Amino acid sequence: MTSTSTRRRHVLDLDDFSQAEITEVIETTASMKEVLGRSIKQVPALRSKTVVNMFFEESTRTRISFELAAKALSANVVTMSAKGSSVEKGESLLDTMRTLQALGADLIVMRHGEAGAPYYLAEHFNGSVINAGDGRHAHPTQALLDLFTIHERLGQIEGLKVVIVGDILHSRVARSNIWGLTIMGAQVTLCAPPTLLGPPGFWLATWPSLIITSDLAAALAGADVVMTLRLQNERQQAGLLPSLREYSRLFGISAARMALAAPHAIVMHPGPINEGVEIMPDVASSAQSVITDQVTNGVAVRMALLYRLAGG
Amino acid sequence: MRYFIKNANIIDPARRIATIGNILIEHGLVAQVFDMADFGMPSEPDQGIEVIDARGSIVAPGFIDLHAHLREPGDEHKETIATAGQAAARGGFTTICAMPDTTPATDTAGAARQLADTARRQSVVKVAPIGAVTAGRKGSQLAELAELAEAGCVALSEAGRTIADAALMRNALSYAAMLGLPLLAHCEDARLTNGWAMHEGAVSTRLGLPGFPSSAEETIIARDIALAESVGAHLHICNVSTSGGVALIRAAKERGLRVTAEVTPHHLTLSERWVLGSLAQWTALPRTPPAESKKRKRGKKSEPGLGLPSWLDPSLLPPYDASTRVNPPLRAEEDVEALIEGLRDGTIDAIASGHSPQSMVEKNVEYRLAAPGISALETALALVLTLVHRGEIDLLDMVAKLTEGPASVLGRAPATLRPGSAADIVIFDPEQSWMVDPREFVSLGHNTPLTGQKLKGQVMLTMVAGEIAYRRGSFGVGTGVLRQASKLEGILEE
Amino acid sequence: MTEKQILSADDIRRAVARICHEIAERNGGVRNLVLVGIRRRGVPLAQRIAATLLDFEGIMVPVGLLDITLYRDDLAMRGPAPVVHSTSIPVDITGRVVVLVDDVLYTGRTVRAALDALNDFGRPERIQLAVLIDRGHRELPIRADFVGKNVPTAREERIETKLNEVDQTEDGVFIVR
Repeated sequence: MTSTSTRRRHVLDLDDFSQAEITEVIETTASMKEVLGRSIKQVPALRSKTVVNMFFEESTRTRISFELAAKALSANVVTMSAKGSSVEKGESLLDTMRTLQALGADLIVMRHGEAGAPYYLAEHFNGSVINAGDGRHAHPTQALLDLFTIHERLGQIEGLKVVIVGDILHSRVARSNIWGLTIMGAQVTLCAPPTLLGPPGFWLATWPSLIITSDLAAALAGADVVMTLRLQNERQQAGLLPSLREYSRLFGISAARMALAAPHAIVMHPGPINEGVEIMPDVASSAQSVITDQVTNGVAVRMALLYRLAGG
Repeated sequence: MRYFIKNANIIDPARRIATIGNILIEHGLVAQVFDMADFGMPSEPDQGIEVIDARGSIVAPGFIDLHAHLREPGDEHKETIATAGQAAARGGFTTICAMPDTTPATDTAGAARQLADTARRQSVVKVAPIGAVTAGRKGSQLAELAELAEAGCVALSEAGRTIADAALMRNALSYAAMLGLPLLAHCEDARLTNGWAMHEGAVSTRLGLPGFPSSAEETIIARDIALAESVGAHLHICNVSTSGGVALIRAAKERGLRVTAEVTPHHLTLSERWVLGSLAQWTALPRTPPAESKKRKRGKKSEPGLGLPSWLDPSLLPPYDASTRVNPPLRAEEDVEALIEGLRDGTIDAIASGHSPQSMVEKNVEYRLAAPGISALETALALVLTLVHRGEIDLLDMVAKLTEGPASVLGRAPATLRPGSAADIVIFDPEQSWMVDPREFVSLGHNTPLTGQKLKGQVMLTMVAGEIAYRRGSFGVGTGVLRQASKLEGILEE
Repeated sequence: MTEKQILSADDIRRAVARICHEIAERNGGVRNLVLVGIRRRGVPLAQRIAATLLDFEGIMVPVGLLDITLYRDDLAMRGPAPVVHSTSIPVDITGRVVVLVDDVLYTGRTVRAALDALNDFGRPERIQLAVLIDRGHRELPIRADFVGKNVPTAREERIETKLNEVDQTEDGVFIVR
């Protein structure tokens, strides 16, 4: 049996995934998770393939997650950390890519501070590209692991009420999740102060089904999933919010706020967490929290995607 | 050399004339215009005259470009005065105004004279220098504006920068008023555009790119109008790009202020969707968020059917293609509509190329980091003609915005084909279609989002002061009575 | 395209019964046995063998399912990536006799991949192979210990096995050319 769609070459965002393909990825992820539960956590599926992790922005957890995923599939893994943009380095992205191509890379996993950089890479690279986060644009592997985690916990995605709370404007996690959740038929609500969201029309133009509000209590009423986002400290310095204290009081997810959601509701966070700002410590470690599941599932999802692009 | 252009579809906006006729050019001037075909044809073969058969093409006064970045001195890898001149001639422009943002800037009389001198020797078209407003374009100390005027600068501009200090801007406008020069203002509040990549709107939100809000342009237009009014200066808004900006300029004109404006061919025809590239193909982005557009519209019913012409297709580009990055950015489609309306109702006086050549080194990088700019001279006419072909504006008005309009901004006698005026002439075929291939550009800047697009409208011949500056193939090489005479001179050998 | 039936539902039932007898005889009973079906049609066959052994010997033999997708060696043949299913082996196979079960034995590459996969789950005392059909054309030195029926075929022919549990139709084996 083969997958429903034609072979995918890159994973740049979820905007070109169909519901059927996301469902397949979720199914494959479950199989990969089974592999990770074995005593020998390795299969030969990508033996002799070379995966290069190109991280232009530091991200320990995503980088390690991809490394473990590639190793579990027996690929050769090289990790290249390069701080700053290619311009700052005085070396162009194109030049770096050509070098990696000449060295025999089959698949490049790239984290980059600039939105769109993976598209540029995909345009010129002969092999496959997985976007491990580009600027504030997209983080498709995070969104897929979130979708898998929701499906694992709640048994479905379609029809669920999902609330994304926090710094949505600057969040690649939010954007990819909006695509994924919308494609899978969930009802998505965005909740943030207007400075971290922008005009609602800008969002509705692409995703007409979104509900957009700054009223957290109304957003949380009956929610099945509460997705919190990291608030960077520099947002306050940039004048986007008066104080972390006030932000936390208005938009932080506390146990009292979680009580507004459905009784079976889960709370998620892509990490790393600012405890006490966007989410309270007792919520993050509660039974409703799936934050550590997200980390575990991340490896399995990335295995599924690596296999989808380079295996078979 | 004398030329006789026959069977010409003459468009001369300054005289409100659109007719078929013949034109005789002698001593660098339009000698005679015969308003009906076959009249004025010398009956005797005449020595030293070439007949150009312009049948099927439009003959118009040469275009005047208020806004071109020539890059010389300082960035000769991007463009030189010579190559920009060739590109201009290829685009039908006979005069280009050189923005002062070179290295060093055109901020002294010496620099202006040197530019004019180099242009006289190396450019096939006329080059008019624009003087910088502040020393080194640093925005802190006025340049020696009167001396720049004496050196022949036709206007003053900070070129791509806004003078943040309103007091300094007011002083600059006062001086411009004394000198009788227009001040060409780039309108951008840099605090609102910090780190920008593209227009702030639906597409930037989707693509996660930092935005250049419309309000960053509109607040400065409003400020500069108020400042210009207070000192009685002539303010000219460089490439206006927003519907709000058009509204402010319209209101200023209604109040009788000396405010003029220009728009580029790309802002008139391309939108933020071009940054989506191939993603635009299958994503239904509604044209405007409904609530906001109502507020912004000025009593005009939106006209249905205004979309991209079928022959302009953003999905030929990959997403995030740096060729679409320009300052000000390509705006929303409602802005494009407002710009066209502004052009139609006279709010916008001129179409300026905004020619901004970049080398691939500046463009082959991540989107936000790519240098803004489009190499525009060689596609300007065909791009603007898409509006004519779509029925948005008529051909006479379009030619006016490229000739009479910019001339009046500069306070000069209008470009015209009246006998006795300089023989700056363009001949173009509005129907001829061609495929944009930047490798064929004579400009050193190959940065265009139009690669692979099919455009309709081709410049066939450009004449500057009675000499041919550009000729496409063997266009117009004569037939008829003068063939023999021409042959004697060997002109047909080419 | 022509289709010829080579085994009926009854034939399959008899073949399974015979394989069960041979398994029990060869191994001196079924106490130390684990059946592992290769996805997809090896799985219902393994389950049928287990049920028949329960009838004959009165002992419930554990059944595992093996998905060999991640062990395949035909990566060069680029088509859409096959869907990966879960593997589930309910007992530790170390020291036990594993009987791999599949419907058709052809080139031997599937069995090779299954042997690799089993390796990752433990070290069995012995591995045996049971197949319903052996159609020849081996590309590897692999042979079946228990065969329902040997069917000489040409390479361009296809063997189609239909099993009620997977295909929701009556059991049968067909040769398609």
